[in-house]
Amino acid sequence: MLHLPRWATDCLKRAEPALATSTRPLVLWERQRGAMKIVALDEAASATGLFAGQNLSDARAMVPDLEPREINREYLTRTFSDFAGWHSNASPIVSILTDHAAWGDLVLDITGVSHLFGGEETMLATLAGRLETAGFSVCGAIASTVGAAWALAHFDPGQIIAEGAEDDALSRLPVAGLRLDAERVEGLKQFGLHSIGQLYQRDRRALQARFGVSLLVRLDQALGWIEEKITPQIAPADHLVERRFPEPIGLIEDVLMTAHDLAIALALQLERAGIGAQSFHLFLYRVDHKVMTLTVNAARATRDAAHISRLFSYRAERLEGEYDAGFGIDMIRLAASEVSPIEPVQTGAFGHDDGASNLLDLYDRMSSRLGAMSVVRVELVNSYMPEQAVTLEPAIAAASPTTQAPPVVRPRPVRLLPHPEPITVIAEVPDAPPSRMIWRRVAYRFAKASGPERLGAEWQQGTHRLQFAGGSLPEMERGYVEGQQTRDYYVAEDESGRRFWLFRLGLLGIAAEPRWFLHGFFA
Amino acid sequence: MGASRQQKLDSLKEKIVALETQPVLAKADERPAGVGPLVTPRGCVHEIFADSLVNAGAAFGFALAQAKASLSVERPGLLILQQKPDMQEVGLPYGLGFRAFGLEAAAFVLIRTDTIVELLWAAEEAIACRAVGAIIGDIAYPHKALDFTASRRLALRSAAAGASLFLVRYARDREATAARYRWRVEPQASQPPPFDERAPGAPRWRLTLEKGSLGAGRAALPEGEQYLVELTENGLVLADIGRDIARPQIVPALSHAAPAPLGNRLPKAG
Repeated sequence: MLHLPRWATDCLKRAEPALATSTRPLVLWERQRGAMKIVALDEAASATGLFAGQNLSDARAMVPDLEPREINREYLTRTFSDFAGWHSNASPIVSILTDHAAWGDLVLDITGVSHLFGGEETMLATLAGRLETAGFSVCGAIASTVGAAWALAHFDPGQIIAEGAEDDALSRLPVAGLRLDAERVEGLKQFGLHSIGQLYQRDRRALQARFGVSLLVRLDQALGWIEEKITPQIAPADHLVERRFPEPIGLIEDVLMTAHDLAIALALQLERAGIGAQSFHLFLYRVDHKVMTLTVNAARATRDAAHISRLFSYRAERLEGEYDAGFGIDMIRLAASEVSPIEPVQTGAFGHDDGASNLLDLYDRMSSRLGAMSVVRVELVNSYMPEQAVTLEPAIAAASPTTQAPPVVRPRPVRLLPHPEPITVIAEVPDAPPSRMIWRRVAYRFAKASGPERLGAEWQQGTHRLQFAGGSLPEMERGYVEGQQTRDYYVAEDESGRRFWLFRLGLLGIAAEPRWFLHGFFA
Repeated sequence: MGASRQQKLDSLKEKIVALETQPVLAKADERPAGVGPLVTPRGCVHEIFADSLVNAGAAFGFALAQAKASLSVERPGLLILQQKPDMQEVGLPYGLGFRAFGLEAAAFVLIRTDTIVELLWAAEEAIACRAVGAIIGDIAYPHKALDFTASRRLALRSAAAGASLFLVRYARDREATAARYRWRVEPQASQPPPFDERAPGAPRWRLTLEKGSLGAGRAALPEGEQYLVELTENGLVLADIGRDIARPQIVPALSHAAPAPLGNRLPKAG
């Protein structure tokens, strides 16, 4: 458990070196119910006797050379989340505790990790030390429950508590160490319950009746009687390989070369386990506490190192401006997820290769270079409306269970305009195909036509509106009206043999005025 | 001066001939892909020109019919490449309409790229895959990047790998190209179906083979060999007047028809 009590001001100071070097006390204020209240202070400001919740004008009067800034909560939350992600270089499971504040409390599950750092004491010292050198004030503690570690980090930092020793360690700490809201803490203090130890002997039912069940839950969590789950910042992967660099690297070529080496190591690991993976994530840990993630997906589970590293190099070509190594990258991790078993296959001299695997590999490569939504296949949907009857799904996504598509007996065009285009129809006869149209400012005279094929709007899709090139119809905003959105489709061939797919929107007599659209082309 | 100029020209011409008959292109599989009146060898680049975007349906339809003939069991992949900005201009390939060509609605993969360079990259990458039978590149407007060098690259690649590439383009101007065949497609008025005088019948196109030859002993006009074809259930059929008038090839619906006495005893279907 790491607690950064002054994250807001420290973070701002790192972003603006001028602030860090100035001796003026820094405070962050926020407008609360019309008053400008202080919400965060740095060390110098605390030393002058200012406190959180004070009016900014009072503080200004007390400390004339104050440096006030308005707080940007969104920015601070985002940077803290990056910061937390970066800590996954110390432990696979890192989480932010947001019970008390959106930032400042970091939980690391160090089960089975501490020996890599030379024991728990050294690990705590290393993690805290490297943050202190970066200019953050930090308090840390290690305990076997999240609640106990939180209490220790906040009120008695630097402690390492063995499992089972939580009762003694916590008994002296104030009740605020139980992650309760300010109102509850005040209530407990009114009853003379100042330290956690005083709660142990109390009647639990009385406590619950007076302070609610959350107090007991927090107490039990801290003492390890009930389990507390933490949500990891980055989903933990079962199979990962990583490499640390003594000197930070920056060039994308170096990153990709490392990715290739890591892919070989990962492939061996996967092969030993007899599995393959569909998703691969490359985490680049930057020196300045940020993690960049590159993810590639494969259409089927694979453990082919050459294929994986090729996908990453194609993905990197699409990065261009996004890639920013900052001051360098000092660790790279390659993780595999969505694993499934792959049977080892003997590559035979007489085998018959149907080529399906080649195609899937091709789609993987194209998706990683062009983006998943750029390589799409067709899926039929249960709808009669032509533009909804077909959807485009990423070619590498798993095929969804096929829905029963309605039978199509009338001809369908070979090309469909994504948005139907309005046309002007001349010499119109009711319920008959038009004899001429003007489309894109050119007139066409039809020699033959067949139709109509009447498609009624689907009432169950009442929210669907026809979107044509240049807008949508205002009268459709009123919702579903029988017959108003019914379409009559015609196949019309002009004098030189071009075939168009036209429709008239709205039944005669119901729609205000019939509108005509061009929706597609036949071969 | 004149002689040296002539010599230079001659040597250049020799070089071009040597390039054209280089082993890579000469080695291209000469066996025709599929059956039909307009069979071409696999592993070629075709350019299919329509005069304007209005004829997009005909040009794409012909490309699709030719691409269908290049697919086989070993090479089932059909890819259609399009640029995102062109989609509203020429329309998206619509799977349900592919059934008229004997293709499944989901038989193809559509690749939508942002730029022409990405499209050409995707085409080259796809040609190299040996499970891909045909690639249709739908290019609405002329681009600088698609020049002779680019088409030569694609031609060499497809000759080496065996996938056919059909570049569908819309213009009256012709640029230098390394494509082996260049077609011009114009739609023609269809013959009405037997029972409805006023309805459109099977699509008909007039094809002009501006570059390359099918070598069927057909007298070439100055602008190239000409064909009039009709798209039927059995694929493309010549609709010319003259000896090539083809009645649709009769394909039995079942490979082994049940004899009548036996057929009577078959369980009722459904």
